[in-house]
Amino acid sequence: MAFKIVVCIKQVPDTTDIRWTEHNTIQRDGLDSVINPYDLGAINLANYIKSLNREVEIIVVTMGPLQAQDSLHEALAMGCDEAYLLSDKKFSGADTLATAYTLSQFIKNFVPDFKLVICGQQAVDGDTAQTPSSLAEKLGIAQATNITKLINLCDDYAIWNKETQLCTQTIKLPLPSLVACSCNNIEINPDINSYIRSQKSQIKILNAESLNVLENNIGLKGSPTQVKNAYRPIITRTTEFLAESSSDAYADFILSEINKCKADND
Amino acid sequence: MTKNVLVYIEIDENKAARVSKEIISHALSNFSDADINGIVLADEQAINLALDDLKKCGVNKLYILKDNLFDTHSTCLFAGVLERFILENKPDILLIGATPDGRDLAPRLASKLNIGLTADCTDLQVDSEGKLLATRPTYGGKMMATIISKTLPDFATVRPGAFKYNPNAVHNEPELVYINPDISGLSSLMEIISSENKPRIDDWTCSEVIIAGGLGLKTKENFDLIYKLAELLKAKPAASRAAVEQGWAPQDIQVGQTGNSVSPKLYIAFGISGAMQHTAGITNSDKIIAVNTDKDAPIMHTADFAIQSDAVDIINSLIQKLSN
Repeated sequence: MAFKIVVCIKQVPDTTDIRWTEHNTIQRDGLDSVINPYDLGAINLANYIKSLNREVEIIVVTMGPLQAQDSLHEALAMGCDEAYLLSDKKFSGADTLATAYTLSQFIKNFVPDFKLVICGQQAVDGDTAQTPSSLAEKLGIAQATNITKLINLCDDYAIWNKETQLCTQTIKLPLPSLVACSCNNIEINPDINSYIRSQKSQIKILNAESLNVLENNIGLKGSPTQVKNAYRPIITRTTEFLAESSSDAYADFILSEINKCKADND
Repeated sequence: MTKNVLVYIEIDENKAARVSKEIISHALSNFSDADINGIVLADEQAINLALDDLKKCGVNKLYILKDNLFDTHSTCLFAGVLERFILENKPDILLIGATPDGRDLAPRLASKLNIGLTADCTDLQVDSEGKLLATRPTYGGKMMATIISKTLPDFATVRPGAFKYNPNAVHNEPELVYINPDISGLSSLMEIISSENKPRIDDWTCSEVIIAGGLGLKTKENFDLIYKLAELLKAKPAASRAAVEQGWAPQDIQVGQTGNSVSPKLYIAFGISGAMQHTAGITNSDKIIAVNTDKDAPIMHTADFAIQSDAVDIINSLIQKLSN
């Protein structure tokens, strides 16, 4: 029986290229979309497991509008075997809790015999890093975030390296379980044949009904958190501008400011 | 009506973690009409070693949940224990430090309770109706979003360094509430096989004076002057992301959205243009001096004093004055 890995990815706007509308909201039109860089680490990790001489099936899934098929085609080209897009107007406006619930319903209904779920540590648009832990809870399985390396994979457990604030740990997780890997900026360059093949492969598109979801738990309705206000960061300091003096005079000025703040402390 | 605030306190090196203290300090001075309590999960030994410091945190009640299984952080176990505590005690607001362990734990707990959670906040306020307004940077710090939740408790994780902690504040001793938690049916699921401590860098992010350098210093040799100046001033050196990417400085001393948030009394930015990425990490500084040749660089509009001049000349002049 194949060892089934579910890789959850997100299509994100290229955050290096954010532009603003005159109303101080983010200009979404014309924004390039890419696979979240951390999710490339997740795909890479799944590919690595596949290379370990095992019968591995990689199922890649994302939730989003129909355009997200682009990212799934890319993921197929990078080595994933099957791709699912969870797409329904009812899913829109989902926060991390509603997203985790929707993903969990997909996994329970379509890949019930999964062994491993791999997510990227966080998405570069939201930076919340909440969906993986939330999803593990919804699936009722063990989890580990900030995973940097697979050490050993057996039939019913896996050994991983995990980073915390104070240490690097070697941990053992039973299978099935979920890991979020924090390998960012990985380049996966599929060859041209994989690209051509992936463009021809079918992406399975699933709506709310086919996932057997409770409508109160999905999309905007199922999202407890709401954005009350979004704004461009505003700096509140008043700046005193100093120019046309000598560097010697500025050095004296800086020293006096340093002495002032040291004196405050005495 | 008095809001019942519960802060999850992590223990770090026999003390309450700095971020936990920062959260409590912020709540004490910003939440009006709030009853601020703390909860700690640890084994007996860790509690005994940290108790003196825990008492100084400023909370009214400190719930101490003790079990031998709590000797290391375990998200699955701790989330189960906290779920039971929260269902029983019903706090209005729940706050956790956005450390790697905190950000692992909080979403699992929120998912168990089916409640909203706002990640990695840099500001927290309570509105007139007593709801938590949780503000966080998003899109890599290019946008700020204020989030409210429809569910209770209001729940947020808080970025280390986002709030100021005043170590000199004197607080009343908390009432200690010891609880032997019911852990039946709960297990850790994760086994730690080995653990290697990372070299600990002393906490420089809240030192008095921070001297930071950026791309405007042009060469690694010039950047090295930042270290020299910092040493002469007994200040801490820091770098912008661009300087780190050039290989002039290690990532440990990077300031900004993807680096460290700092809160010194005085932050001096030499040759840093001050992209939002960077300024997001310095807003808690009491005073900012920026030195840049480009008067239109963003940092020149975010500092208290903007000096249009060559950074290297001024650094050399400072080093000369201090060496004499």
